Amino acid sequence: MKTQVIVGLGSCGLAAGAGKVYEEINRIKEADGLDFELKKTSCIGMCFREPLVEIIDETGSYLYGDVDIKKVDEIIDKHILKYSPVKEYIVKSDVLETPYKDYFDGQVKIVLRNCGYIDPESIDEYEKRGGYEAIKKIAREKISVHDVIKTVLDSGLRGRGGGGFPTGLKWKFANNNRSDEKYIICNADEGDPGAFMDRSVLEGDPHSVLEGMIIGAYAIGASYGYIYCRAEYPLAVKRLNIAIKQARERGYLGTDILGIEGFNFDIEVKEGAGAFVCGEETALIASIEGERGMPRKRPPFPAVSGLWRKPTNINNVETYANIPWIILNGAESYAKYGTEKSKGTKVFALTGKIKHSGLVEVPMGITIKDIIYKLGGGIIGDKKFKAVQLGGPSGGCIPEYLSDTIVDYDSVTATGAIMGSGGMVVMDETTCMVEVARFFLDFTYKESCGKCTFCRIGTKRMLEILTRITQGEGKERDIERLEELAYQIKDSSLCGLGQTAPNPVLTTIKYFRDEYEAHIRDKKCPALSCKKLLTYEIIPDKCTGCMVCKRGCPVEAIEGEKKLPHFIKQDLCIKCGDCYAKCKFDAIIIY
Amino acid sequence: MDKLNIVLNGKIVQGYKGETILELARRNGINIPTLCNDPRLEPFSSCYVCVVEIEGMRGLQPSCSTKITEGMRINTDTERVKKSRKSALELLVSNHYADCVAPCKLTCPAGVDVQGYISYINKGMYKEAVALIRETNPLPAICGRVCVRPCEVACRRNLVEGKGVGIDYLKRYATDKEFELGEYIIPDVKSSTGKRVCIIGAGPAGLTSAYYLAIEGHDVEILEANSYAGGMLRYGIPPYRLPNEIIDREVKFITDLGVKIKYNHKLGDNVSFKDLKSEYDAFIITIGSQIGTTIGCENDRAENVLSGIDFLRNMEMTGQKYDFTGKKVAVIGGGNTAMDCCRTAVRCGADKVYVIYRRTEKEMPANPIEIHESKLEGVEYLFLTAPARVNVDEKGRLKSLTCFKMQLGEPDASGRRRPIKIEGSEFELELDYILAAIGQKTNVNFLDDINKYSDEKFLLNKWGDIQADKITLQTSIKNIFAAGDAVTGPATLIEAIAQGRKAARSCHQYLIGEPVKGEPYEFISRRDNFEKQDPTDYIDHYVHQEREEMPTLPAEKRKNFDEVELGYTDEQAFNETLRCMECGCNEYYTCDLKKYSTEYEAVQTKYDGEYKKYEIDFRHPFVEIDNNKCILCSRCIRICREVVGAAALGLVNRGFETYVAPSGLGSLVETDCESCGMCITTCPTGAMSENFTFKPGPVKLSSFNTICNYCSTGCEITLHHTNGFFMKATGANGTINSDGLHCRFGKFGYKYLNDSKRITKPLLRTNGSFKEITFEEAFEIILKRIKATEPDGNIIFAGARLTNEELYLIQKFARAGLKTNNVTSFHYSGRGNGYKYAVRDNLPFEKILETNRIYVLGSETNYENGVVGMMINRARIQQNAKVSVITKDENDRMIHKSDRVLFVNSYYYFLKAVNHHILSNGLENRLFINDNVSGFDEYKQKLLTEDFNNLVKSSGVFFEKRLIDFATEFNSEMKAVIVASEKHLSSNAIKELFNLALITGKLGKSASGLIILKEKNNSQGLFDMGISPEIGVGTVSINDPILRERMRTLWKVKDLPEYIDDNIWDSFREGKFKNIFIFGEDPIGCAIDKDEIKNTLKNKEFLIVQDYFMTETAEMADLILPSSLPFEIGGSYSNTQKYVVTFESEFNSKISVTSYEQIMELMKRLGVECKLDYTHNITLEISSLLSPIPATDLDKKYYLEHTTEDNHFRKFNYGCDYLVKRFEENFLSSFENN
Repeated sequence: MKTQVIVGLGSCGLAAGAGKVYEEINRIKEADGLDFELKKTSCIGMCFREPLVEIIDETGSYLYGDVDIKKVDEIIDKHILKYSPVKEYIVKSDVLETPYKDYFDGQVKIVLRNCGYIDPESIDEYEKRGGYEAIKKIAREKISVHDVIKTVLDSGLRGRGGGGFPTGLKWKFANNNRSDEKYIICNADEGDPGAFMDRSVLEGDPHSVLEGMIIGAYAIGASYGYIYCRAEYPLAVKRLNIAIKQARERGYLGTDILGIEGFNFDIEVKEGAGAFVCGEETALIASIEGERGMPRKRPPFPAVSGLWRKPTNINNVETYANIPWIILNGAESYAKYGTEKSKGTKVFALTGKIKHSGLVEVPMGITIKDIIYKLGGGIIGDKKFKAVQLGGPSGGCIPEYLSDTIVDYDSVTATGAIMGSGGMVVMDETTCMVEVARFFLDFTYKESCGKCTFCRIGTKRMLEILTRITQGEGKERDIERLEELAYQIKDSSLCGLGQTAPNPVLTTIKYFRDEYEAHIRDKKCPALSCKKLLTYEIIPDKCTGCMVCKRGCPVEAIEGEKKLPHFIKQDLCIKCGDCYAKCKFDAIIIY
Repeated sequence: MDKLNIVLNGKIVQGYKGETILELARRNGINIPTLCNDPRLEPFSSCYVCVVEIEGMRGLQPSCSTKITEGMRINTDTERVKKSRKSALELLVSNHYADCVAPCKLTCPAGVDVQGYISYINKGMYKEAVALIRETNPLPAICGRVCVRPCEVACRRNLVEGKGVGIDYLKRYATDKEFELGEYIIPDVKSSTGKRVCIIGAGPAGLTSAYYLAIEGHDVEILEANSYAGGMLRYGIPPYRLPNEIIDREVKFITDLGVKIKYNHKLGDNVSFKDLKSEYDAFIITIGSQIGTTIGCENDRAENVLSGIDFLRNMEMTGQKYDFTGKKVAVIGGGNTAMDCCRTAVRCGADKVYVIYRRTEKEMPANPIEIHESKLEGVEYLFLTAPARVNVDEKGRLKSLTCFKMQLGEPDASGRRRPIKIEGSEFELELDYILAAIGQKTNVNFLDDINKYSDEKFLLNKWGDIQADKITLQTSIKNIFAAGDAVTGPATLIEAIAQGRKAARSCHQYLIGEPVKGEPYEFISRRDNFEKQDPTDYIDHYVHQEREEMPTLPAEKRKNFDEVELGYTDEQAFNETLRCMECGCNEYYTCDLKKYSTEYEAVQTKYDGEYKKYEIDFRHPFVEIDNNKCILCSRCIRICREVVGAAALGLVNRGFETYVAPSGLGSLVETDCESCGMCITTCPTGAMSENFTFKPGPVKLSSFNTICNYCSTGCEITLHHTNGFFMKATGANGTINSDGLHCRFGKFGYKYLNDSKRITKPLLRTNGSFKEITFEEAFEIILKRIKATEPDGNIIFAGARLTNEELYLIQKFARAGLKTNNVTSFHYSGRGNGYKYAVRDNLPFEKILETNRIYVLGSETNYENGVVGMMINRARIQQNAKVSVITKDENDRMIHKSDRVLFVNSYYYFLKAVNHHILSNGLENRLFINDNVSGFDEYKQKLLTEDFNNLVKSSGVFFEKRLIDFATEFNSEMKAVIVASEKHLSSNAIKELFNLALITGKLGKSASGLIILKEKNNSQGLFDMGISPEIGVGTVSINDPILRERMRTLWKVKDLPEYIDDNIWDSFREGKFKNIFIFGEDPIGCAIDKDEIKNTLKNKEFLIVQDYFMTETAEMADLILPSSLPFEIGGSYSNTQKYVVTFESEFNSKISVTSYEQIMELMKRLGVECKLDYTHNITLEISSLLSPIPATDLDKKYYLEHTTEDNHFRKFNYGCDYLVKRFEENFLSSFENN
């Protein structure tokens, strides 16, 4: 076989410089007339080692990490020309031992089955790996709508967008509602800060989403589909459009698809304008209709009255990507993964203070601890793990002492957090939990569509309270005020955004109340994170009087003669941290 | 299953499938507050004020959008629900940077509605202004002279020119005018309760209590120690400031309500509580603080050292003035009593008058105007001076006063800097009199008397004043209340008045057995709750206008007790009213946010934090947008899109930054806004409000319903007014506009009602100008003219705005009185007879919602018949009907509300071409034609002789195919309606439109056919009432023998004139008409070709015009008769679909002989028996003429009539009505001025 060199060109790779790496490899190949096949793929999940270049030769596969232009020369020289892999750069291989064994062994790849392995712009590669076999099987074996829905029901697949509603049931409802026209929508408006599962799938394996939608359309009787994708994902939009074009050419989209009589279906990509709330299904529908993206009351649910008031089924990217696998491998194969009520796998985006930030796909039922330590490699700098935020701004914090919690819908919900779409932000001891709550609330407050009173003004008021707490201006009873508002906002908001916006605040209060109290009563931030609450002080015994801190201080708050201990005038100090960073003698302490 | 069983607040009730919880609750009498819900709109759910608890559901649910389901258990009033509603309101008001009421009213202890009364004064409504003041202050004339006016300090005008509005001067002005005109509004006194109240003291607090208790129906007696009423007003305030006549006048106003005053009765002196106790049910003690405080230094009781109030009182008691001629007088103190003393001392002839005050002028509590005036009068001030010792001569008489100089130290509890004695600064002042005006105490010498005879103990507070509950003013004895200085210690008049009213309220509660408690909670939003008001926010927003200063007696003329202040002149008062910035919200009485915030006792500052400040947008001449008051319920946006179809408004930004703005973010004027005002109507707060051209108050309004007298739709509207001044109009739930829709005419077309130029008396042209004459004279002149002319030398024109009853009387007057059939209207004259039957079997408006296709043919429905336009839009938006516009005008205002447009040059030829196409291709509805239509063969034969291509060419349709498509589509659609208007279609075009409807068989179906719109409210009435030479009542030929027989019998006349086919315009030119009567039309003002009409009318001998205003036609008249407004006389109109919409007489006509009476009187004088006194009788007479006349075959069937030309001879705009012309001209020019 011909040696293959495959460069990961997902957004993460491109951001890390994979584009230049690809060009460099290509330049060398052209210049030296080398005989290997240069290919593109997308994210394999190891975002923390991007750019990634995989070389497959007759001996096996070798994945190089942190590749830059300099390493390209070395790798090509040694591996391609001298048949000698550069071991120290290899992060994954089927023939060599690598430090990332746990990272890969802990994962089960269903959704991400093709990501990082195929060229997402090639329908052939998708088909080669079993792509479009599921819909072909339906056509070939004339599997009835009822049986398709039953398979999805039996698989136990639940909506991966965060709600966790059984997908099969949703399809059944949409199928039951008779109408001259029905729609199917893929929610690709992934908007949680720190979440990029859907982006990876759209960029890495767009056809799997299309195939999932085609099967869904068959199941509910939809004739048209929309992929509502945020405009911030230009690569995903581009690859989706390529994939749609290819699918049309191969007859997976169009009329009487694969000979199934009367099964006419086409898909269009709609770009969202970046409003977080448009991830809410009724707001998403309004946005597709050209209206302002504002949610409306459910019921009626979209399955009854959705897009243009027709029955409509909405699932997210990850959900659809599961479908072809389930149809092809059977409900039981899927259901063998996971817990009693949460089947299959779940993709998580690990971010924050974690060593292996990136994507992992794990079977439901794994503990949070295992994700963080086994797959995630533990905390950066081996600091103390404090908590993990699950479910983005709608979710909540799970503290370290609950890290044995297993990942399934019900267990996570019991902690006060939610499974959400799979964003996992890991926090260590230097993270201020009040600031975390403030950060997420600032996000939801800005993303509130402004319709409902509680969400529009209530989140604003909560944010004001949190902000003043982090600035040392918290007042007695502020915690109670926050709680009161939080419960009222949850009680009286129309859509999920408002109903869940207070969750980060409520869970941080629940698990880290003492941190709030320290801010309010002692005017101290225990994590030493809230700038306004810090005190910088010079330890006279350690100070050598080198004057470095004094010269650097932007507000001339440091006084002291040369070679004599300096001191900081607290009333002038703006807590910029410059002195602390510059002191070579550890003479400055923060408390 | 259409009925559902629901458990609502524990009770099983039945609901309907599809019903929301809110609807269910309302049907069951449960009040759920909501701000974002409007039943005309799709549920939205944003305010979250309407939440309820549903068992088994996690959060609270908005009741406005939650549909009921079988077995649902709903709780609408749990604590959780109430708390959530309250929080929603508190969050909303935490970002509601707006004032419910103006600071003046809020600051006034008595809560006098300053903004309201200024608005009345501005309109010359003086008695209304004073009546409004009396609602909280029964002593306006007194207060208008001597109030310390905290309102003026609070007035925002201070932020503009540094001087508040002359509020108190305006108050005095209003009371002076009231007195001068002798017109009062006497409050209604409720029926007697049988309870007796005794008030001790006829001072301001006592008089006030008495006034309000008397109004409640209690028997009130005041015991007054002195011989006259007024208390300190009379005995403490000198007459140059407050003449006794003013006090007498106000006291009389109170005693006229039945309050009795017993003079020379002093409790604890010549009256004992023992006797009173059994005689009265309750007491209010208002004895004031009457004992002057002494200086508090050595010899301060020496002879000629007086307390200031004794000084003033002695003169009033004895009627003798002190003679200070040649004397030196010192007044000690810096308050208003000191001012009264020093200025009185000057008037008593003193040689030298000093005011000794221990601080500086800045700290003086006295009214600055008083200080200013006293200086003018020669008073000398010794500031930073305090008395140390009174020096006496050997007889113990005052000789001089030793004083200290003082300096100011740190501020004390009152916030003023404390004066500190400068050691060694003593100096001596030679004096003859010292008047100590440094404070007063309450005389409680009756205490023992009460305690002796009472079961409970009567208590004093630590200052020695009467102890009374702050909120209720109830004393320690349940049936004794106290008010005024006796409770507060020496305070101001306005505080005494406020207390008097408060005590009266509590006393009333006590008397009728209610719990005694203070004023109920009222939520008031205040800008000051957010920030201190900054001048920069005001200066550039208001035209700079200096305060009108009070004219006063020249200083040299003041050596007497004549009133110094002379009162504003009319011009000054009017100018000063313009300075009022109207800080209080116009929707004060109607705001739902305020209503619910009051109900739920919301606190504005509960969730304080950042708030939004917006500039108020006045750019639209009719609609004002104040985003500060917006709660983002989006009702304005939604009604504009879903109902009106203009989509002129939208939301901008997200979250807390969201606000409502005109689409396109420019001015509302630049959008498709139709100025219908539906946004104002639906707004639950004051965010969308009318851009008023006058000061609206706001004041409480009375209202009545009537029918809009502009277009022919027949909408019911509500007019809101205060004593005949019309402040606004809103949509009512009428027969046609059942959900209260209205257009620009209904909403803003009321303003002419306030025009003072209305004609109210007959006017005769004399030597080139008009002179008022009596009705009697007018009738005689007219009679003389009639008698001197042969019957057909008279002609009568009657306008399409008149009531059916007026029209009927007018044609009767012509036919029975004048013996002529020359009765017609300019409106339809010379336009052919196609309009006569235009309403036959029109599709009722409400069926528009059921149609699938609507063709708007030559009608700017949304502009000309706005509410019908809304019905079309609702069909389009809510029912998905397709709307096509067929128009000659590329700027047709319906275009943007349609799905398709077809441009034509001629409606007439377009329709003929369509008919031609249908017939030549055999597409006609044979079945329908055979059963219902006559004349088909002849019509077809005639039409088909015409050349189709020529017809198409003349129609101006660019593609022939589009015309054929229309024909095919309309013909094949079962539910299609064509909406057309007489304004744009000639009467032959109307006939061809009818032909189209007939050959396609569209008439008489449930949701298809024609709707033909007329121009005026009673255009149809002209036909129905026989305003035409050729037809009589019921649109029956005037030559119909049955009708003629009925007329003769009913009218008791022998001969009726025969109809002679005649061309009116030719007859005009020939000068055939000697006497021309024009009722309610303005042919000259409304003429398209003014010269033509002027020339036509030139040949008359005598022109009689009846109208509201001096129209251009009226200006040409020889005699003008005034005309009654519709709601002054009541009656009916026939709308464009022949619905007879009726309305009542709501007002006594300003005109002594109403429009009805004028015609009837003329008829009587011509010998026609006329016993019709009321509208009702006229209606009966009309109906007896209307009873069915056996129809001829021709009438039973529709008739196809071939026409040969487009007779578009419309000569007048505006339906020939001055009111429409006036509105339209103002409407258009108001946009030009922007």
